Amino acid sequence: MHSPFKLINKNILVTGASSGIGRQCAIDFSFNGANVFLLGRNVEELKRTKELCAQDVTIKYFSIDFSDLGLLSNEIASICDEIGPVHGFLHAAGIEKSLPYQHLKIDDYQCLYDVNFVSAMEIIKTISNKQYRGDKAKYVLVSSIASVIGRLSLTAYAASKGAMASAVKSLSLELAKKGICINCISPGTILTPMMIKMMDALTEEQRTARKESFPLGFGEPSDISYAAIFLLSDAARWITGQNIIIDGGYTAQ
Amino acid sequence: MEINEFVKNFANQFDETDASEFTPATDFRQLDEWSSLIALSVIAMIDEEYDVVIKGDDVKSSKTIQDLFEIVKSRKKS
Ligand SMILES: NC(=O)c1ccc[n+]([C@@H]2O[C@H](COP(=O)([O-])OP(=O)(O)OC[C@H]3O[C@@H](n4cnc5c(N)ncnc54)[C@H](O)[C@@H]3O)[C@@H](O)[C@H]2O)c1
Repeated sequence: MHSPFKLINKNILVTGASSGIGRQCAIDFSFNGANVFLLGRNVEELKRTKELCAQDVTIKYFSIDFSDLGLLSNEIASICDEIGPVHGFLHAAGIEKSLPYQHLKIDDYQCLYDVNFVSAMEIIKTISNKQYRGDKAKYVLVSSIASVIGRLSLTAYAASKGAMASAVKSLSLELAKKGICINCISPGTILTPMMIKMMDALTEEQRTARKESFPLGFGEPSDISYAAIFLLSDAARWITGQNIIIDGGYTAQ
Repeated sequence: MEINEFVKNFANQFDETDASEFTPATDFRQLDEWSSLIALSVIAMIDEEYDVVIKGDDVKSSKTIQDLFEIVKSRKKS
């Protein structure tokens, strides 16, 4: 029986697969039938992700760094030559920076913008090519609730995340002609290595206040991966250009 | 590392409080202008100027500017 909520036989690329949300997505995609191709910088951690994935599907990893974006589309093309048609793309690679605006440097804006946003656009340029795209392809970019709300000292990060959410709207129109859907997921606070590091700058009281500000408490990486499975599955065929907010009720307030 | 320079860098993170209010003995969390945003600015300043990464709880456990200076100084050596 066809199960529209599964990812059986789909080839899915996952960036940021060495840690946090990207790792959890890779694991959960594999247990839902997808062949998963892990992209990240840390080979040891990518190997670890591979071990945690289902063993009855194809899992491969590729070391790739987004600090040199000029090389990216060629690198992705050679990965695609190896793996075949790409049916899904989950972009979870990203960096965070909490810095009051007076301390932000031009390089900070540039670096956040490149790693969080431009890298995804360069990858999509390649994988959406006739040559590489799979049937009914679906792309999901992990933005953040910083794309829709304000938070002290997040100006540069929020700008890069907002870029993702607004680019997806225009891009969805071009990709629709190719039968591709693209959406953002915007998570609230999830205790991944990135967030744990960021919270170090807060005091114990501030950490408690942060947690209490989420009606359902902090999220878990699987709160994001389950939604990503849906958005990458055939069941989501009529959803595109959206920014899906998953934040335990934070923005409902 | 020099305490007077540290006090000056610390004071620079404030907009309204007069520079004369800052001495090594200043109980900085009692200042009207003190806020969580200024705490983040102080952490960023310490990272930029002294190449030392401190935590929110380090700021919290310091009473005076001198206390914070001592934390930064001890981390800088190691
Ligand atoms: N954790 C949260 O609370 C939260 C909330 C909202 C949005 N997000 C977003 O979710 C995404 C995943 O974050 P996470 O919490 O899992 O963090 P994480 O730090 O655990 O993972 C980030 C991943 O990005 C990769 N990465 C970073 N810089 C890279 C570069 N130059 N080249 C290639 N890969 C690079 C890392 O290798 C890592 O695999 C990020 O885009 C983040 O902004 C996280």
